[in-house]
Amino acid sequence: MRLFLLVLAFVALVLPIHARAQTADLAAVVSQYRDQIEKPSRQSIGPVVDEIAATGAQGAALLQAWNERLLGLRKSDGLLVIAAPEGDGLKLTDAATGADLGSAAEADVTMLRPNSGVRGVISAAMAGNALSDPDPKRRIEALDSMSRRADASQLALLREAMDDPDPALAARKQRLERMLTIQYDSDPAARIAAIEGFGGDSGLDFRASLNPILAMRRVAFEEIPSGTNIAKELSLGGDLSREDAYAMLVAEGLAPARLTPQAMRATLAQHIVQGSVGGVPLAQLADQDARDRAYTALEAQGTVQPAASDDEVEAALARYKFLDVYAEPNPDVTTAARAALRSTETRIGLMQAADLSLDALSLASIYFLAAIGLAVTFGVMGVINMAHGEFIMMGAYTGYVVQQFIADRTVSLIVALPLAFVVTFAAGVALERLVIRHLYKRPLETLLATFGVSIALQQLAKNIFGTQARPLTSPAWLDGALTFNDVVSISYIRIAIFVLALVFLGLYLFIMNRTRLGLEVRAVTQNPAMAASMGISPDRINMLTFGLGSGIAGIAGVAIGLFAKVTSELGSDYIVQSFMTVVVGGVGNIWGTLAGAALIGFLQKGIEWFNPANTLAAQTYMILFIIIFIQFRPRGIIAAKGRAVGA
Amino acid sequence: MKYYSSALAAALMTVGLAGTGWAQDDTIKIGVLHSLSGTMAISETTLKDTVLMMVEQQNAKGGLLGKKIEAVVVDPASDWPLFAEKARELISVNGVDAIFGCWTSVSRKSVLPVIEELNGLLFYPVQYEGEESSKNVIYTGAAPNQQAIPAVDYMAEELGVEKWALLGTDYVYPRTTNNILDAYLKGKGVAEGDIFVNYTPFGHSDWSKIVADVVALGADGKKVGVVSTINGDANIGFYKELAAAGVSADDIPVMAFSVGEEELAGLDTTNLVGHLAAWNYFESADTPENKAFIDEWHKFTKNDKRVTNDPMEATMIGFNAWVKAVEKAGTTDTDPVLDAIVGVEVPNLTGGTATVLPNHHLTKPVLIGEIRADGQFDIVSQTDEVAGDAWTDFLPDSAKLDSDWTGKKCGMWNTETNSCVQLGSNY
Amino acid sequence: MRKPLVLRHPSILVFLGVLAVFTVAVTVLSAGYGTGAISTSMVKTLGKTLCLALAAVAMDLVWGYAGILSLGQMAFFALGGYMIGMWLMVARTEGIVAGSLANLPIPPTDAEISAAVATQIFGVVGSDKFPMIWAFSGSLWGQLALVVLVPGLLALVFGWLAFRSRVNGVYLSILTQAMTLALALYLFQNDSGLRGNNGLSGLQNIPGLDAVSQEKLSIWFLWASAVTLGLGYLLIAWVASGKFGSVTRAIRDDEARVRFLGYSVEGYKLVVFVLAAVVTAIAGALYYPQAGIINPAELAPIASIYLAVWVAIGGRGRLYGAAIGAIFVSMLSSWFTGGRAPDVNLGFYTIKWVDWWQVLLGLSFVLVTLLAPKGIAGLVDLFEGLRPPKRQGQPMGPDMGSLREKEAVE
Repeated sequence: MRLFLLVLAFVALVLPIHARAQTADLAAVVSQYRDQIEKPSRQSIGPVVDEIAATGAQGAALLQAWNERLLGLRKSDGLLVIAAPEGDGLKLTDAATGADLGSAAEADVTMLRPNSGVRGVISAAMAGNALSDPDPKRRIEALDSMSRRADASQLALLREAMDDPDPALAARKQRLERMLTIQYDSDPAARIAAIEGFGGDSGLDFRASLNPILAMRRVAFEEIPSGTNIAKELSLGGDLSREDAYAMLVAEGLAPARLTPQAMRATLAQHIVQGSVGGVPLAQLADQDARDRAYTALEAQGTVQPAASDDEVEAALARYKFLDVYAEPNPDVTTAARAALRSTETRIGLMQAADLSLDALSLASIYFLAAIGLAVTFGVMGVINMAHGEFIMMGAYTGYVVQQFIADRTVSLIVALPLAFVVTFAAGVALERLVIRHLYKRPLETLLATFGVSIALQQLAKNIFGTQARPLTSPAWLDGALTFNDVVSISYIRIAIFVLALVFLGLYLFIMNRTRLGLEVRAVTQNPAMAASMGISPDRINMLTFGLGSGIAGIAGVAIGLFAKVTSELGSDYIVQSFMTVVVGGVGNIWGTLAGAALIGFLQKGIEWFNPANTLAAQTYMILFIIIFIQFRPRGIIAAKGRAVGA
Repeated sequence: MKYYSSALAAALMTVGLAGTGWAQDDTIKIGVLHSLSGTMAISETTLKDTVLMMVEQQNAKGGLLGKKIEAVVVDPASDWPLFAEKARELISVNGVDAIFGCWTSVSRKSVLPVIEELNGLLFYPVQYEGEESSKNVIYTGAAPNQQAIPAVDYMAEELGVEKWALLGTDYVYPRTTNNILDAYLKGKGVAEGDIFVNYTPFGHSDWSKIVADVVALGADGKKVGVVSTINGDANIGFYKELAAAGVSADDIPVMAFSVGEEELAGLDTTNLVGHLAAWNYFESADTPENKAFIDEWHKFTKNDKRVTNDPMEATMIGFNAWVKAVEKAGTTDTDPVLDAIVGVEVPNLTGGTATVLPNHHLTKPVLIGEIRADGQFDIVSQTDEVAGDAWTDFLPDSAKLDSDWTGKKCGMWNTETNSCVQLGSNY
Repeated sequence: MRKPLVLRHPSILVFLGVLAVFTVAVTVLSAGYGTGAISTSMVKTLGKTLCLALAAVAMDLVWGYAGILSLGQMAFFALGGYMIGMWLMVARTEGIVAGSLANLPIPPTDAEISAAVATQIFGVVGSDKFPMIWAFSGSLWGQLALVVLVPGLLALVFGWLAFRSRVNGVYLSILTQAMTLALALYLFQNDSGLRGNNGLSGLQNIPGLDAVSQEKLSIWFLWASAVTLGLGYLLIAWVASGKFGSVTRAIRDDEARVRFLGYSVEGYKLVVFVLAAVVTAIAGALYYPQAGIINPAELAPIASIYLAVWVAIGGRGRLYGAAIGAIFVSMLSSWFTGGRAPDVNLGFYTIKWVDWWQVLLGLSFVLVTLLAPKGIAGLVDLFEGLRPPKRQGQPMGPDMGSLREKEAVE
């Protein structure tokens, strides 16, 4: 509440010009436009806002409250009030006079809900003044609002308020001023200078200010009027198909329409005489040729308007020139804008490629993370675990449950990661002891038994957590994105997943190559009997290895849940892809899994790039590619060599 | 002795044969055909509870035609062929007089032939893609002109959107809706290049590229708006990516047609404040009817946190319309009820009334809501009631079709040739 | 002179007999031709179950006899359904459209009828043209041929590629799963030309048989399903019984040895795989007109895995086991998920079978795999007093026959 009063005070202070130029009484304005204030529309509210703003400090306070959705109607008498929240209730102020009306319960006031379009108009109206506001936050807001909906009038306001104590804001103002100059300055030379002043800038906002200049429309002229800023003369059949060109003439009323089959049919139906049309019996008219004959006969009789013939169409097309014409009349400006845009094209293309590569890398790391647990259980042990996806899901739900108990998201994440490992490690060990141990000799049956576990676990999750997706929210420091420029950016959560994937790669290599456990695992994998005779317990090692793979899946689950969603189907969304990753990469080799994930990630993004309208197609063709790939390289990208092959 | 094995098979085959129902004459039976298991359970279970609540209320008021109403609940388990099977069972075995059910379009299309064959009566409570009008179905959800078209108008007029990204899950509702919107926008002078369309699979989670594509649309200097027909879980990843990319509702507003109170419960909405949804009902509607409905709902489910949503209102309206029609007709037989139901008026929860039209759709107000931080919606726009249009005016093949079950007795009337294309519906 | 097949394997005769008795019983009790004790929806369920049983029998040939755990069988099943569904949709719509266009003053051209049919069928997915793959959809015989050809060809190409590269074991399973996933995803796309997620619907209305009520039609389909199941069972039993069957089983047990003996392992596998695919597709073509609707969800990987589950629970390696498994589990499934099973009240918690059936199924599946690898059909052995030898210890190597360490000691 105090903050709000403070804001009011600010507004009162910073509007000295308007306060002096108080032209109309606010109460009168409010009552005059009462309907529009209650049900405002973006397109008509502008003048009302301007009038209110012109009434002075209280008007500005009203606008401010309106923008922040604090304006309401008192139910008892319909008075327009500013209702600021205060404790459980509301503190009311008369919007027109500023008189204190005491407090009221929330139920006593109907709050007005101006939509965001209207709020945009209001904040744009206030932006001019807010540009010099002492509060940097309000200056930023004003700049934001101005860059969203600028018009010529604001260019002058902005130029008045160019000085800014904050150098970053001053630079932003400078940039916005140049941008507005390009669009709204009345002097073409200044505009061209502004365009060229940006050099090869590839910012989205810069392109956004250039593109409207280059907006064009397609027209047909017999004689090209002078002063037309032509973008391109279109060649018929090349740039513009003859059909489209003629359709354009028809649409503009410059030529008669051609006869469509529907129109012909309707016309024929109107001229049925004693069971025949133009001498052709009705029964024969189930044939297009017969209909043509009938129509020609009617034309000959003069009963119907002759349709445009091919020759007439040709003549009409020859008579007209088809052009793309710029809306901007000054050719120098369009030339400069075009040159500036063209110079950015290559860089934008490169940046888009870079952005796509980042996306692909991110997808690859997600697949890698989902598959690395499998690389242990399937790759090293050769155990096919269809419940692997459900371990991922268990990890994600662990994260969700932890978040229910620990409110601080950073702490909850720190707790959730190891806890997810512990939970899924335990589940993995239990699965290995109870089921898989008995089926080492029967791999196909392992597949089916673990599948049974998978459907049971999935349904169990549904029974416990419901079928609806559960929120797993990342800590604030993982919000947002690392933005290199307007094109290339990647969200922090994806970077975190990438880092996590790298960490696990390192961890895997460390465990397998540098620890006693890894040594024993490799020994058991290569020759269980020999390992056993050396004092290694294959039973224990199998159990630990399987637990390790499952535990990693749990941690992957937390990461995947953070970036996507937590549902009972989370695991099954990834299971086929995970197996593909391992199989494509080559079983038994972590580098293979890495290569497989990279291949799948980049491939999918590549196909998406070719066909951006249909993501489903990308997944389909990716899987198809993998199926074919495996036919030709059954052992994967990095094939195991030597004795291990037979094992 | 091996023969016993096969005898066992025969015994097992006959296991399922038992279970034929018996008819009780002192009750009126209605069927509830909503999935209670499988992927659609989360949405549809709520509607089953709504019907049960309405039945309980009606029975407390003394029932219908002096009889109690009995709800027969079956579970089609999100399995589309099963919807047809269960519908047949409800009508021919249980002898229900009306069915309240279905959510997805494909489940409705699965039930249609059975309902029409057996001359049943289905109340379908979900917003859908239109292009259909069956004699035996009352569509109590929104047709495209009661949701999509007004929402797009709102975006163009109130938000100044000039460039459109139509993002949807790849199935029939988004496809048809986007086709209609595409034709509608082009009719309003939007250029081909200013409409970006993308379809993603169910449950899609990798949204970075698509969000980047949408942001890149802004390079034209035109205001970009997203019309989202993304379904279910996939929304979560989408909104998360949107928030991560720092796309605010002021820059690129997202208008969703399939995101309601229930879906937002799975999300942290602080980053989504200001994005939009279009429905015919929001829980935040400030009317006494709505307050009473929400209170009843909380009491019935014994849970103060259960949210209400648009399909629930549609279910409520459908049930009340049926009750009124039965009272008017004095019987529960399908044909008299269908004759009586056209013109029946039922109060909406958001104020105004819903009237059953001759094309078996309703009049509905269109509401636009902005997402609030608490997962509810601020209603920023509410129109008067709009009459539902079975066949859209914006696709050439449909524009010439009309539906009128009172005068022309046809759901697919070709106004150009003045003839009925077909009496059954197109499934 | 060898005895006829059915006498060498009396189980075939029993199976066929039971099937015939069952069919007659259902007919007598049906609403269409009998007392009406069995509702039409139940008749349809039974008819569909027979089709599933046939698919399971084919699955058993592939898995139980040839050892190929194919997790993509339902792709063939659904393809069969799609192929017959195309004709059903076109023929039905053509009847409606021709009827409505005939009222016009000017009779319609063929092109106009075709365009109107296309609009009706594809209006749902926002198109009004027939895609290429519908080229034969106007002809029943054309589509019937495709029911066999399309899945057969898919199996042939896929199998040839996979067996040739010696992809086997779990790799092959994953690959077949990927195949059905890719096909499902492809069909989910609206651009695929098979109406995307909506699939083909209204298939229960058979063109030209509008006058026949569903009560009777459902019985006709039950008969057709029973006859097809009987014939399919006979065919597969015949294939699995002779020398061909022996080689197939040998491949299952040790592929490398069979190859060294000079048999073309790939050829045998390919024949089995394609044959099973074709039989499955025929079962699918009979199933979907009874179900009424087919859409891509039908060939999601999970469906094929369930098929494997049925065969495993029924008892693989015996055809009647597979059929029993499919019938038993699918009927039980529908009983539990249909909300007909009574809830179990434990006092502190009420078990709703709708929620817990899947858990039960999953766990029982694990138990069957672990404890009763022979499945339900194992009960028959128990009945006949057949016991497998108790195997203990490690194998002792090729020279010692099938004896193992401890057995040798005893």
